[in-house]
Formats: sequence, structure tokens, C-alpha cells
Amino acid sequence: MGSKIPRTARLAVIVTMTAALGLAAACGGGAATEPAKNQASGDPASPVTVKFWSWVPNIQKAVDAFNASHPGIKVDLETITAGPDGGYAKMLAGVKAGNAPDVAQVGYDSLPSFLVNGALEDITQYAGDKASTFVDWQWQTGVFGGKVYAIPQASGPMGLYYRKDLFDKWGIEAPKTWDDFAAAAATIRKKDKDAYISTFAANQAPWLISLAQQAGQGWFSTENDAWKVTIDNPDTRRVAEYWQKMLDGKLVKTEADMSNAWYRDLQTGSIVGWIGGSWGDAIIRGNAPKTSGKWAVAPIPQWPGADKFTSASWAGGSSSAVLKGTKHAAEATTFAVWLNSAPESVNILLSAGYGWPSIKDTSQIANLQKDDTVFPFYGGQNIWDVFKEADAAVDSDWRWPPVSDALYASITDNAKAAVQGEGTLVDAFAKTQQAMVEQLKAKGLNVTTGG
Amino acid sequence: MAGVLQRETPKAGAEAVGHARPRHPRRSRSHVAVFVAPFFVVFALFFLAPIGYAVYQSFFKLTSSGLGLTEPTLDFAGLDNYTAALTSPAFLGSIGRVLLFSLIEVPVMVVCALTLALLLDSARARFRAFFRVSFFLPYGVPGVIASLLWGFLYVPQTSPLVDALALVGLPHDFLGPGTILLAIANISTWQFAGYNMLVLIAGLQAIPQELYEAARVDGATEIRIAWHVKIPLVRAPLVLITVFTLIGTLQLFVEPLVLKPLTTAISSDYTPNLAAYNQAFAQSNIHLASAEATLIAIMSFVISFGFLRLVNRKGKRAW
Repeated sequence: MGSKIPRTARLAVIVTMTAALGLAAACGGGAATEPAKNQASGDPASPVTVKFWSWVPNIQKAVDAFNASHPGIKVDLETITAGPDGGYAKMLAGVKAGNAPDVAQVGYDSLPSFLVNGALEDITQYAGDKASTFVDWQWQTGVFGGKVYAIPQASGPMGLYYRKDLFDKWGIEAPKTWDDFAAAAATIRKKDKDAYISTFAANQAPWLISLAQQAGQGWFSTENDAWKVTIDNPDTRRVAEYWQKMLDGKLVKTEADMSNAWYRDLQTGSIVGWIGGSWGDAIIRGNAPKTSGKWAVAPIPQWPGADKFTSASWAGGSSSAVLKGTKHAAEATTFAVWLNSAPESVNILLSAGYGWPSIKDTSQIANLQKDDTVFPFYGGQNIWDVFKEADAAVDSDWRWPPVSDALYASITDNAKAAVQGEGTLVDAFAKTQQAMVEQLKAKGLNVTTGG
Repeated sequence: MAGVLQRETPKAGAEAVGHARPRHPRRSRSHVAVFVAPFFVVFALFFLAPIGYAVYQSFFKLTSSGLGLTEPTLDFAGLDNYTAALTSPAFLGSIGRVLLFSLIEVPVMVVCALTLALLLDSARARFRAFFRVSFFLPYGVPGVIASLLWGFLYVPQTSPLVDALALVGLPHDFLGPGTILLAIANISTWQFAGYNMLVLIAGLQAIPQELYEAARVDGATEIRIAWHVKIPLVRAPLVLITVFTLIGTLQLFVEPLVLKPLTTAISSDYTPNLAAYNQAFAQSNIHLASAEATLIAIMSFVISFGFLRLVNRKGKRAW
């Protein structure tokens, strides 16, 4: 027993020393400014450890696959709470305290907040040539001022899930335009006194935002040295007026989506449709399993007079960001790129239900061609065709503000008030614009408005 | 009379100790220090230090410039965060809301707890132990679980209660803007009335039986005994549970947080605590959150000590 402890201690010292040497070697490699650092793969004899924080279920499988195929880099996954529920606060605190992970799961909508908090590492020199691998609008979410800070992982392009069996029974076609959608909503109310086409989810900021995103004009942009806030714009007002009419006519429910009440309504057929993200298929399948085979997915309804098909993405999507203070930016980038573009990894993540892949070429992704758990639920339809088209039709000019948490809180509070009858939805968006201008100013940022 | 005598003894004892103190050798003080030190160390580390740090944080703010592409700076902000909190209609609204909530909840709670305690303490009560445990049981349910449980009973799609009320034509919207505060009051009363009842029962059991006998000899009914003997003698525990309930209602947090996803009537700054939580964890503004938390603490402090002053005036010291 006596000799065992010293031996372990000795081993620990050796391990620490080799790790330190490896670290020095990695730094040395970086200083040499060889083009080879693009493909940083580390030294298998003394692997570099990359810390990774994520909340995506089953992402460990992808991490294991990376570790198995990259002996020079060892990725350590720590599962954290989802970003908006405290994960981001933890990351930002980690950056401040100097113990942040090298790579972290950060939503597209939160990347600007991270940037303003000085929490992102510039990885242009390692990832600059990867742009062509990814869908353009998704790639652009991690690029600020021409510099790359994050590798896109997945998005949530929107589609219309609907109960095809009931639509057929009532003689309703899948709505192609928003006018069709309103007409279908009215017909459904007449055909079944308990059924609604959908709920108006005032609780769901990303949903409200995606409806506005699809309508056209964006909410945030940069102009010279200032943020330009244009929430209260003609396109968004059109969306607000449309849904206000739906609310006034009692054509939609007003309960929260993804709540117990909503799940129950999906099960009983009291709610027969949902404009949701591509990952929503798992939510419907998981919560209303007995309705299997009865659903179908149609493209999101279009605004009359639109010159081309447009969709939107639920809260943008999610990326792997390299955080400030990392000592292994090259290795971290290698991992982030592999995780989000290697077919093996994308397949794993897709089956974990993480969203729509960010890579352009999805022909190697087996689950997108044929999926025996998903397609039968939708009567054999290849629903991924709908979402592939939708993802390609997301506006690449949409920008998130550096205060998206405040935006979410403000828009849900205001939309909830409108549903309660305090003002209209048009007022709700105008009030949200006012709140965002104040938020940005309070941070000391330059702000202008438009509409 | 024995009980009355007992009540006097602590005061006499304290005086005796007070007189005796100077005669104790100095060495005993170091003994005292050794025994109380662990408490003060932990108290300072986990209570005073975090509070001090929060107050300190509340005087700073992060400032960016231009587009914010450069790292923000941490600047001394003086009372800016306090001004921001106190001029924010949402935060002021949340304070107004909990004050209204206190106004409803405190009397309801005290009356409920007192009624239950008096019923269990009355001479005719049966199965006391069983009812005492049953009334106390909800206190053992964690607040989050209690809120989830009632949440299911409030949501029309999952609630047998709503169906039943609708059937007999009674109002059944628990989650509307006008009723949500009452729905929350119901949860906290359900949860804490049993606990407060126990506090009162302990007080009632300390009342000497002789007083009841004397009252009965004078021809008093159970109700008159309750009103003229029991209630005046549990004044101290009554004040105690009132203060507990006041503090609890001013710091309302768990119930609205859990019910928030179920209703459009609860906003992200529905109560002051929820507003501070939202600033700290959703909007990453720990400086404003610290200022709001400090204001909540000051408010609870002023109101509960104000109440104690009020009831303790004219030398009628409750506790």
C-alpha cells in the first residue's frame, strides 16, 4: 500500500509535465505561423484537452466519435443547463473568471451579446476558409465585422405541421398563403366547436420573432457606428395586424405552446396545426404518439404578393463558439468544424433532435434521406424536403441584437399584455422597439431607429 | 398560577445573570468566543460577505460604446442602478403587486391558521393528531412541486376542478389577469397555513388549564374562551406568523415562476424577486439585479420592522 501512493503521485507529475510540454509545443506551433495550423490536430502522444460545454442531448456520442478519430485532441464535454436557463450566465461568468470552456454551445441569437461582453475569440485564421461548407445565412451568424467567431451547428427552419386526416375530413387544403391560413382557421371553427387551427403563442418570443422575420424587413442592423432598431416596421405591423384579427375573431387559441395544456390539445385534436421549427417533429411525436400517421408538414404560408418563397428560422439556431481566453483556439476550431460538418457527427446530432444541419451538402446525411421513426408518423412523407427548402429560404440579412435576452422578455411581456386586451399587438411591437432602444442606450451603445 | 409564575421567571433570571456578570473571570469570555466563533465565521462568509458583495456590485455598471465590438468597461455608477430600478414602471408595478398581495394574503393566512389552531385546541376536537398532521402535510411539499400540482388544477385542459366548476356554472378561470393573484394566494395559504397553525398550537398549549377552568366557572362558552382567553394569550405567536407571512409575500417568487408558462397574466417582472432574477439570469445585468435585490431587502426590512413597532407600541411587547 505504502508504495502505491507515491507511484500515483509520480504518475500525476509525469502526466502534468507532458501536458505542460504539449501545451508549450502547441503554443510554439502557433507562434511559428505555419499554414498547417488550419488543420490543427495536436500530437497524439500528448493530446491537447479542449473543454466543451453544451446542453444538446446525446452530443457525447459525437464527442466520443471525434476523440476516437482525433488522437491529438481530447475533448472533455460538460453538460450544462440550456443557455437561456442559466447556461449563458455560467459561460460569461467563466470568461470573466478565466475558467471558461474552449468551445461552447451558443445560440445564433446570443452571439452578439457574447461579442458585446467580450466573450468570443476571433478564429478567422483557423476557420476563414470553411465558409463554403456551410449554408450562407447560418455561417453569417457567426461573422461580425468580417471576423469569424463561431461555427454554425443547426437551425430551426419553419414549416406548418398539420393534422392531414382532419384537414381532409373537413375538406381543407394545406394553406399556401396567410389568407388561406385565416380562411382555414375559420372553417375549422365552424366544423368542430372544440378545434382550433393553432395557438397564438404569446409566451414564445422566438416564434413571434420568426413570424416577423418571414414577413420581410429585419429588426436590427448596424449603420455606421450605431445599432439601428426597426422593430416597428411596415412588414412587422402587417404581421401584428394579421394576428390581432385572428385573436379578435377568436380563430386561434391563446394558450402557451409546449405547455401541458398544448400537448393535451395536440393529443385530443383540439389544436390541429403548428407553425414550428424543423426540430418540432420530435415534440409532436413525443407528446402525441397516438396521432401517428395523421400528420403532415407543409411549407410555411406565404404573404400575398411575395416575389419569392421565404421562410424563417426559430431563434436562428445554435453554434459552437470559441470562447475568449482559450489557449487552444486552433484545436477548438478543428473540433467545432468537425462536430458541425463531418457527416458522421451530423448524423448523430440529427438523430438527437438538435435541428436542421448547417452544412450545405446534406447528401451524405443518411437520416435525411430515409428515417423510419420520423416519416411514418407523417404518413410516409419525407418532411425533410420541406425543411431543406425552408432553410434555403431564410433571409441572410437578419441580425440579432446584443440584447436578445431583453428582447425576448420584452416581446413576450408585451404580447401577453396584448392578448389580455391591454393594447393591440401593433402596440406590443412598438413598445418592444422602445424598450430595446432604452436597453441599448443603457449599455452605452449608439442607437438609431427607423421603421 | 404556576404558569403565570413561570412566565415571570425568565425576566428575573436575566436580571440575576446581569448582576452576576461582572463577577465572572475574564477567561470565560474566551470560552464564549471559541463556541460562537464557528457561527460567526460561517455567518460572515455565507451571509454578510455575499450581501456586502451584492451591495458593492449594485454601484457599478458595464458600459460599451459604439457598436459594442470592443470589450465593455466596468464603471462606478453611483446610484444609477437604483434610479433605473425606481423609475422603471415594471419594477414599481411589481412592488405594488406584492403589496396588494400582502394585503390579501396576510389576513387570509392569519385567519386560516388561527381558525385551524383553535379548532384543534377546542375541548371537543376529535382525532387531533390525525388532523394536525394532515393540516401540516402540505408544508412538507416543496414549493415548486406545490405550484406544479396546483398548476395542473388551474389549467383547463388537465383540471377536473375547472370542469366541475364549469359544470355547476361557477367562475373557473384561475389564470386570468384578475384571478391569478388569488390563485397564487391559494397555493401559499395551502402550503403554509398548517405550519403557522403549529406555531399557534404550541402557543395555545402553553396556556395554563387553570385559566380555562376559571373562565368556565364564570360561565364562559368555548367561543368566548377562544375570543377572550386564547386569542389574547397567543398574541406573540400571532405577531410572529404575521411577520413571517409578510416577509414571505414580499419575496414572492416560486409560485409565479412556475405558473408563468401557463398563463399570459404573469410577466417576467411580475414580482420584485422575479424582476431581479430576470435581470441577473436572463439579461446578464448583475449590477441592476443587485440594486433591485438590495431594494427588496430594504423594503422587507422596513415593512416588517414597521409592523413590529406598530404592534409593540405602548409597552405591549410581543417578542
